[in-house]
Amino acid sequence: MEPVLELEKLCLGYNKVIYQNIFATAGEGEVVAVVGPNGIGKSTLLKSIGGMLKYHSGSIRVLSKPLGSYSTRGLAEKISFVPSQSPRARNFSLFDMIATSCYNRTNWLGTINDSDKGFIYKTLRRVGLEDFAERDSSNLSDGEFQRATIARALVQDSKIILLDEPTAFLDIENKLIITKLLKEIAHEESKCVIFSTHDLQLAIKHCDRIWIMGRESFNCGEPSSLIEQGAFDSMFKDSLLKFDPVLFTFV
Amino acid sequence: MHYLRGQIEHKVTVKRKKGYIREYVIVSISLLILLMLNLTLGSVILPLKEIFSSLFGHSTQTFVNEILWDYRIPKAITALLAGVALSVCGLQMQTLFKNPLADPFILGISSGAGLGVALFVMGFSAFGISFSGSVFMNMGIAASAWLGAFAVTLLILLVSSRLRESTSLLIFGIMLGSVTSALITLLQYFSSSSALKIFVVWTMGSFSGLTTNQIWIMSALILPGLIMSVYNIKELNILLMGEAYAKSLGVNLESTRRRILIATTLLAGSVTAFCGPIGFIGIAVPHIARMFFKNADHKVLIPATALLGAAIMVLTDTVAQLPGQSGIIPINTVSALIGVPIILLIILKSRFI
Repeated sequence: MEPVLELEKLCLGYNKVIYQNIFATAGEGEVVAVVGPNGIGKSTLLKSIGGMLKYHSGSIRVLSKPLGSYSTRGLAEKISFVPSQSPRARNFSLFDMIATSCYNRTNWLGTINDSDKGFIYKTLRRVGLEDFAERDSSNLSDGEFQRATIARALVQDSKIILLDEPTAFLDIENKLIITKLLKEIAHEESKCVIFSTHDLQLAIKHCDRIWIMGRESFNCGEPSSLIEQGAFDSMFKDSLLKFDPVLFTFV
Repeated sequence: MHYLRGQIEHKVTVKRKKGYIREYVIVSISLLILLMLNLTLGSVILPLKEIFSSLFGHSTQTFVNEILWDYRIPKAITALLAGVALSVCGLQMQTLFKNPLADPFILGISSGAGLGVALFVMGFSAFGISFSGSVFMNMGIAASAWLGAFAVTLLILLVSSRLRESTSLLIFGIMLGSVTSALITLLQYFSSSSALKIFVVWTMGSFSGLTTNQIWIMSALILPGLIMSVYNIKELNILLMGEAYAKSLGVNLESTRRRILIATTLLAGSVTAFCGPIGFIGIAVPHIARMFFKNADHKVLIPATALLGAAIMVLTDTVAQLPGQSGIIPINTVSALIGVPIILLIILKSRFI
């Protein structure tokens, strides 16, 4: 099957290359975790794919077409992006917050039609927030709010969903809920979900594919084969940190 | 776990929340009452009965007709327009910059207008030309103020395409405002006392003395500004949740910013041109609207701020008339006395955006 997203010899950065030689793919119905040390450029990679940052060189192909060939609006119909920390608006109901992501389909005033209204309620049910529609979105807990931002991306109705550290700042239960939710979305709605994370164990357990942004090299593959190759050891330079293939973590 | 439930086709039976008819009615009635009060009070108190009979065309008392139609109604209309324009403008600035203390003049529009007026008034006086009280003078002040405001916006627009973040734009605007203020001070230092007085009176703000033609010009500038503001609603709601999100939705941030800026100049620039720089209303009213309507949706807030802004500005003007025969309190003094407690209340209750 044709991959949804292909990165070839991608070098990140604008004036100066900050990370180079990324070869990676992601397919329909796959959930992909991007892992790597702090500051290596995970956010930059996601933002470059989302068309929010310019990249240095190489190619990004979205649904077999180069990224540059999409208009801003055309790209928004294919890729949605969930920033690591979204500001919350006071006195803005959860429904209204999610309704904003119908932007490309609504009229000049942003009126939500009945089919989108149904779609929003269905999506709220999907992420387990169906009883919260009329609640003030700024009063949601961090875990609930993160699910709301995922619902927003789902309502945008794009093939690819990029999430910048969706599980940061969450407790272990919510980390699991979010990771499982992303997996279900990818598998059941045939989306391609790509998210950056520091939770290696959860990523290895639940993701179909992992992109490792190591200090030395970039690796892309299924978790099991990456473990066999010993690819996780390239993540950190420090020889004190060794990847344990049984515990799925660094010791 | 409940979120694992399968997809059930969701029927759209859930009733979405009420409209805000009750709130709008309350604000509209207050506006009407305040307007009547405004027409009644002044150096001469006109009884409501006389006002109604004059309004509906069968008043016998010519002096009532004269006061009402030549003086009070134009003034009330000016106050109403200014209130609507400044409040709607302040709301958009607060959303664009995600800053609860942003006001229509945060990007230096009033300082730009001020510089225009200062150049006009003090420039002419430097050449020994004096023309106090003439129509030329009134129109000249308005035109130069508008040009000053427009020049500042133009500069900001030029810069805004080079800046990625609205915060940088905010800093640029504030710096620009400081520079223009410094230039005004410099001009003041070298100008004659009579020119200085004209300038200082302009900065105090006033709704009176506008001719019918001037009111028409002011409306003709404000109306497109309001239409643009309504057109901005969709993007303003998205901007509530940050520029990164807006960008990922495919919102053209540059053109959105440009549209908001142009609407701002039309609204705040025009009011400043004809009435002087009127402070505090532009910050306070959007917060009052948020508190009263308890909704951050701009579809609700734009009409709400427009109505509330009109009501509060008419109230301000009414209070300014209270001394009766002994004169008028400058508008800016009253707007500060009304606006500042509201802003303080907001900070104390920390009901930010």
